[in-house]
Amino acid sequence: MIIVMRSGATAQQVAAVVRRVESMGFRAHLSEGEERTIIGVIGDERPIDPGIFELMEGVERTVPILRPFKLASRDFHPQDSVFSINGVTIGGKKLCIMAGPCAVESRQQILEVAHAVKEAGAHVLRGGAFKPRTSPYSFQGLGLRGLELLAEAREETGLPVVTEVMAPEAVSMVARYADILQIGTRNMQNFALLQAVGQVNKPVLLKRGMMSTIEELLMAAEYILANGNSRVILCERGIRTFEKYTRNTLDINAIPAIKQLTHLPVIADPSQGTGKWDLVVPVSRACIAAGADGLIIEVHPNPEEALSDQAQQIRPEVFAKLMEDLRALAGPLGREL
Amino acid sequence: MIVVMKQDATVSEIGAVIAKVQELGLHPHPIYGEMRTVVAIVGEERVINPEVFEVMPGVERIMPVLHPFKLASRDSKPEPSIISLNGLRIGGRQLILMAGPCSVESRSQLLETAHAVKEAGAHILRGGAFKPRTSPYSFQGLGEKGLELLAEAREETGLPIVTEVMTPETVQLVARYADILQVGARNMQNYGLLHAVGESQKPVLLKRGMMSTIEELLMSAEYIMSHGNYRVILCERGIRTFERATRFTFDLNAIPVIKQLSHLPVIADPSHGTGRWELVNPMARAAVAAGADGLIIEVHPRPEEALSDGPQALKPEKFAQLVRDVRRVAEAVDRTL
Repeated sequence: MIIVMRSGATAQQVAAVVRRVESMGFRAHLSEGEERTIIGVIGDERPIDPGIFELMEGVERTVPILRPFKLASRDFHPQDSVFSINGVTIGGKKLCIMAGPCAVESRQQILEVAHAVKEAGAHVLRGGAFKPRTSPYSFQGLGLRGLELLAEAREETGLPVVTEVMAPEAVSMVARYADILQIGTRNMQNFALLQAVGQVNKPVLLKRGMMSTIEELLMAAEYILANGNSRVILCERGIRTFEKYTRNTLDINAIPAIKQLTHLPVIADPSQGTGKWDLVVPVSRACIAAGADGLIIEVHPNPEEALSDQAQQIRPEVFAKLMEDLRALAGPLGREL
Repeated sequence: MIVVMKQDATVSEIGAVIAKVQELGLHPHPIYGEMRTVVAIVGEERVINPEVFEVMPGVERIMPVLHPFKLASRDSKPEPSIISLNGLRIGGRQLILMAGPCSVESRSQLLETAHAVKEAGAHILRGGAFKPRTSPYSFQGLGEKGLELLAEAREETGLPIVTEVMTPETVQLVARYADILQVGARNMQNYGLLHAVGESQKPVLLKRGMMSTIEELLMSAEYIMSHGNYRVILCERGIRTFERATRFTFDLNAIPVIKQLSHLPVIADPSHGTGRWELVNPMARAAVAAGADGLIIEVHPRPEEALSDGPQALKPEKFAQLVRDVRRVAEAVDRTL
């Protein structure tokens, strides 16, 4: 951490900061410039609250040097994390495609989609049983019944299942059915939930909050990792901007940016990231070209009858075409599908 | 346009809206619903100021139905526009690569870069002679001397030139040297400038304002076209969001969106869109995978010595690598390079 003193800071004020730094067990490195003095704090600064210095007289601001995440960082773990989920690998050369309906609506709907996405080449089945909806009057998901249907779809197709868990007390129940636990965008900073999924032995798909920075996403991953679960998959799913033509602005920059900072696998969600089914194909290709390790795509047999996210779900035949396009793209990028 | 009446709007208030529509020479089509009444207006609504209705008693809000742009819209011209320039077809199947330094700094810098980007496969040379810089103390460009150097580089390499014009009164000067006039992000809504380039015979590269919506970009294109210049190339170059890990948030959703809404060619600027040279290559690939018709890339022989935008400039050998990587993606999405 660098502590920048105000231009009129007195020698006494500088000395007080130095004493404070040293009293905390760090070394202080003083640089007296022409316009102002700065103090370097030497040591692992991550546990220090910069506010301690910012309230001292003569201090203008503090500048962190180390990234605040550690277990998630590439400095700590330089090679890519690759893990295997019931025979499906994620984070390696092979792309991992997760697909399925936004919400599990009925036995017939989930089985039909599961077979269709499997046939098209998907590796993981998605489907929401617990749905975080903006309106309390919207369909909230089938709950436990939805989990049972997902388990049945897995039995039939062999596809592992990813589904969202919304509350810490539901983690052990969802984990009995799911192969991957999803933390949704609205819960990215639900720290009790992060702690709870950090303590189970299932991989976690952590979606970026729609109003969260990349650093905040990595700090949320750090919560899960610090609680003992090393299998975290990150997901870019679009952020809130002034552009309202699309539901969200998919931040594809985040894909290569996150991969530089962390060893964890990164996938993208072009369904949520655009909110429009006819943008899903070109934007999916863009995500893979940017280096994503996989995608999560909403597929529904009759999007016009879906109980949620009608506008962004694609039909099975569009998904099959998307998989063909991605296969053509994977090879030239040195990936496999 | 739809005029939505308030729930408690009276019969006479609805009647007044209907009379107003007729007075404007348009056809009112009232729809009496259970909860409220709406009045649909049939006719060319672009010429009506919605505020005429918004101020009337009993009116809740106005919803436009047509896009406010017309000449730029795909409704008025379904087939894509292809801009021919020195044997190049911008907007056709072949991708167009524009590359060169952020600023023209010296004869040797520009010529060295021009030869290098040409050899790597670029089609058009970029370089700023008039530079809009945030700080008035930063390098402002070489001005007309820069234009002369660009013309010399064109002589030597045969590459057409794209360069920025900042004011209406310099349009003629810049047009004497440039093959494509660039309107920068900060000037996207400088209507005097849009008017002036609209009266020029040269194609215009119109960059999206960093705080502008897609609709606003298309309205700016409409300004240029409504003054007679139909050769407009649009450019996504990143928008301002809360994310600070990258200089801008590169809105690649915008590429397929703009192509749906407009027939004009769309290129992407991953140099500005990321602000970090090591993200330029993956995001260039992503932009092409999303359907961009070309790219504009900043290249500098020695980025560490650049007078502007050094952190986002590629060295010539990195640019050559980018061209090879983008070519493979282009083939996978049925384009050529």
